[in-house]
Parts: sequence; C-alpha cells; structure tokens
Amino acid sequence: MDNSHVSLVSLNLRNDGFDKYRCDRNLSMGINLTNMTKIMKCAGNDDVLTIKAQDNADSVMFMFESQNQEKVSDYEMKLMNLDQEHLGIPETDYSCIIKMPSAEFARICRDLSQFGESVVISCSKEGVKFSAAGDIGAANIKLAQTSNVDKEEEAVAIEMQEPVTLTFACRYLNSFTKATPLSPQVQLSMSSDVPLVVEYKIGDIGHIRYYLAPKIEDEEN
Amino acid sequence: MGILGLSKLIADIAPTAVKESDIKNYFGRKVAIDASMSLYQFLIAVRSEGQQLVSEDGETTSHLMGTFYRTIRLVENGIKPVFVFDGKPPQMKSSELEKRAERREQAQKELDKATEAGDQELVEKFNRRLVKVTKQHSDECKQLLKLMGIPCVEAPCEAEAQCAALVKRGKVYAVATEDMDALTFGSNVLLRHMTFSEARKMPIQEFHFDRVLEGLELNRGEFIDLCILLGCDYCPSIRGIGPKRAIELIRQHRSIEAILDKLDTKKYPVAENWAYAEARRLFETPEVTDPDQIELKWSEPDEDGLVAFLCGSRNFAEDRVRNGAKKLAKAKSTSTQGRLDSFFKVTPATPSAKRKVTRLFAQFTK
Repeated sequence: MDNSHVSLVSLNLRNDGFDKYRCDRNLSMGINLTNMTKIMKCAGNDDVLTIKAQDNADSVMFMFESQNQEKVSDYEMKLMNLDQEHLGIPETDYSCIIKMPSAEFARICRDLSQFGESVVISCSKEGVKFSAAGDIGAANIKLAQTSNVDKEEEAVAIEMQEPVTLTFACRYLNSFTKATPLSPQVQLSMSSDVPLVVEYKIGDIGHIRYYLAPKIEDEEN
Repeated sequence: MGILGLSKLIADIAPTAVKESDIKNYFGRKVAIDASMSLYQFLIAVRSEGQQLVSEDGETTSHLMGTFYRTIRLVENGIKPVFVFDGKPPQMKSSELEKRAERREQAQKELDKATEAGDQELVEKFNRRLVKVTKQHSDECKQLLKLMGIPCVEAPCEAEAQCAALVKRGKVYAVATEDMDALTFGSNVLLRHMTFSEARKMPIQEFHFDRVLEGLELNRGEFIDLCILLGCDYCPSIRGIGPKRAIELIRQHRSIEAILDKLDTKKYPVAENWAYAEARRLFETPEVTDPDQIELKWSEPDEDGLVAFLCGSRNFAEDRVRNGAKKLAKAKSTSTQGRLDSFFKVTPATPSAKRKVTRLFAQFTK
C-alpha cells in the first residue's frame, strides 16, 4: 500500500507454478523492491532461481544456477522491518467485470491523462466509456462489447449486474499499466463506492492485482 | 504552553504512537487548527529583516500574511481546515498568565537595555518575546478566513479543548497544534508542524492518543494525572519530579492522591492547597460548545472581497491575492481522492520474521 493509503498491489504466485515449493509455516518478510531488482539484474536469462529464507531470518537468499550448472551465484539480501498496517480485502461480488486487451487499456489511460488528473469509467449495457476533462477540453472513449469472438485475448467482454460510474486518478492507473507485458488481457472489476481492481493474469500460475480507491465528491457539494 | 516535556516522553517511551508523514498524505482530511497558536507562530515567524510586516498605517499584517498563504497551502494539499479561536481563559490559568505577563515585562526591560546598547541581535530576540496575539489580530483573521470560505469556531474557553471535542465527535479527523494539551483533553489524533512554512520541510508528526496510552500503559485518567505532574498551564507541578520520576510514580500508584500518600513531602515539597483536582476536572470536562451544534461549511472564496481587504492600505500585491483566491476556488471544485482503509479493514499482520528476531534479541540482552 502506498503511504497515503490510496492504492495497493498484491501479487500471487501459486505453489504449483514452482518446480519445488516448501513452506512450513506462514511467514511475512519485508523486502526492499529496489534492492531486490538489483539482485535480479545479476541473473542470466536462462538461470534457475531458488529463493530461500530461514524461520526468523533477517535475510533472504537468492541462488542463480546456470543451465549447465557451471556457475552458481548466491545473493543474500537483508530484510526490512515493515511497520505497515495490513488490510484485509473482503470477497466482493462486483457489479461490473470488464475484460479487455491490456495494451488497449494502457493506451486509453495514457491518452486520457493528457486531458485531466482523473478519468471517469462508466460501465453500462452498451459498453464501457472512459472520459476525462480539463483545461484543454474533453475526451471520451467508448468501447462496445465485441460480437464475434475469434481470439479471446482481443475481445472486450462485459459482465454486468448494474451500471457503475466511478472516478479515478490517472496517475495511479498509469502506474498499474506498467504490468501490461505480463498478460495480453486485463480485467477491471468495479462496484459503486468500492475500490477498483485491475487484474493481470501471470500465465497459469498466478496474478497481480491493483486496488485503487475512487475519488469521491464532497458531501457539501 | 502545553505540557512540559510530554512529546519527548512519548517519543522515548511510546515511539510507535508517533508517525511522521508528508503533508500531501492528508488530502481530504478535516483538521481543526488551534488559531491562537498559529497566529502566534505567524507573528513571530512571518517577518522581513527581523521586522514584522506592517500596513501603511503601521498596523501589523504578519498574521494575515501567514493565515492567507499557509491556509492556501493546506487547501491546495486537499486539507479542509477549521480555525478554532480561544474564548476567555479559564480561571485556573490566571497564575500562568500572570507569569507570562511578568516575563513579558522582563523582556521589555531587556529590550530597552539592548536598544540602548544598540545590540541588533538582542533587540530582535526580545522583540520576538514581546509578541502577543491581541483581540484585533484574531478579529482580522476571522474576517479574512470568512472571505476565504474557511469555517471558524469560537470556543467558549480554551481552543485546544474545543478542538479535542470536535475530534472526539468525529467532526474533524485531527487537531493541528503544537501544544500537547490537545491529547490531555482527549483528542484522538494530534498533528504537529501542520502550519509550518513549506520552506522548513518539517514532516508532520501524528500522535495517536490510543497508542500513546497503550505505550505508556496508562488509562485516560492516569494520563491526565501524569500531565499535571509534568507541568500544565493550570496548576504548579511538584518541584524535583521530572518526566522520568513522574511516569514511574504514576505507573506505580496510578493517581496523584495515592502518590501524595506515599510521597516524602520533605524531599519533594508540594504547593499548599495544590489545585490538582480542579486542573484534572478542567481536563476531563472542559467548557466547550457541543460539537453537534457546530456546523462546518467550506464555501467559495470571495475574490473581490479578499482584494478589498488585503490590498489597499494593507499593501498586499493584488495579483498574488487573486492568484490565491483562484487556488482556493480550484481546490474547492475538485473531488477528493478516497482511501483504501475506508473500504478495507485493518487486520493484525502475520508475524514478520524481522520483528520476531528483534524481540528475541531483546530477551537475550536482558
């Protein structure tokens, strides 16, 4: 979760996605992502990666083995003391679930953020509309459901119980779309007055989910 | 001037009760500002070449300058401020006020001496000590805030007490003041450094009352007694008992009465007719207006009114005032970013590996 408690990211990789996976008891570890990236950059493209941590450890081990087993590198990274509150995310039945090509979503967020700080996403029976307005003018992008589904990844599909309109800050959406290379498709889940979920599947083994609190109109206005 | 040494005591004993963060993380929060405290700050700090800013007729305008620009800074960061002004000082404060008047007289004497000697540095120092917030200062500020569309509340008595009452009733998120008494009055959240200048880059300190109590291992009544022992505005403290002794005594005996029973009064002379019980009552049930009767409304700024009020004889630059008014109007029209914690519940964390280790170490070193 970011400092101002507006957005949250959760990455889940299931155990069956790993060659070997062992975890004796639940453990949470504070990891500095910048430092982890430094270590990851030391890996070769085809290296086999092993991540290890002891119970009560204050560091985590990364081991890279080259395909021919000739080179083995060990990296130890110190853990951080995370003094963060954890949020329990309740299971929610969302009023609208939109599946669309991830590159299309990234493009829309990028284009609309030129017009204003926030984008309004409204989902109805006809389709989904993204709009932004600002000093230079206004922008509207409408996507209709695709009728013929040849390639599932390129389709826009909407499951809707009731129409929803919510406003979000572009800044955060543009950070979320950095995950676009992970999956050809993105799923947006919305209900009125609850945070948006932007989900990218990671192959068959997991997903990355971004949560973003909507902007709210002041009660006085 | 608040509670002597309380913030240091909290930082030492209950460090988890204090969080530091950036002003921009407070968007959308309603905050009650202790106006007298911030006016005093402005009168001291908003200066040019050591002199207060003045209008053409020589009237001070430092407080208006401070209120105008620092309020705009808050509003631009999405904060919704409410200014709370002091009413009459409580009876119990008279001896403290007398002391302050004495100190002011002393400063005046020193100032005269320094002026005679021509010591510029000392003159400035004592000039600052002579600063006093007058009725005129606060009236002008109220007028200014009204033009800016910012709500003001007149407390019947102490502003901190009124602020605390607003927080307790959930009318505002926190009290912004430098005085720690707001906690003694029971405010759940206290923010320090909120009205400081941007240039000082001071992070905002957030004190949570429940975590303070947890960290000090006290309940609210015991906390009030602790504050009285540390030294408050309403009655003297016991000579020779500093913060460390005070917290020890309270933890051991749990009330001032029990402490007085056990205390060696020869070693620690207690003031005659020590009015700790009255001070305690003042903290427990201060004179405040019922928060439910206070309506807080933020409205559009009156641009022309602001220009008329600040420019002209008060010498503010018109384009800067108009600019400021536009910033206020813009902030008013944009919607507020929501927060995840208003939708999701905070859950106890899974035990973190690192934290366990530190605790283990703590046991070993014992």
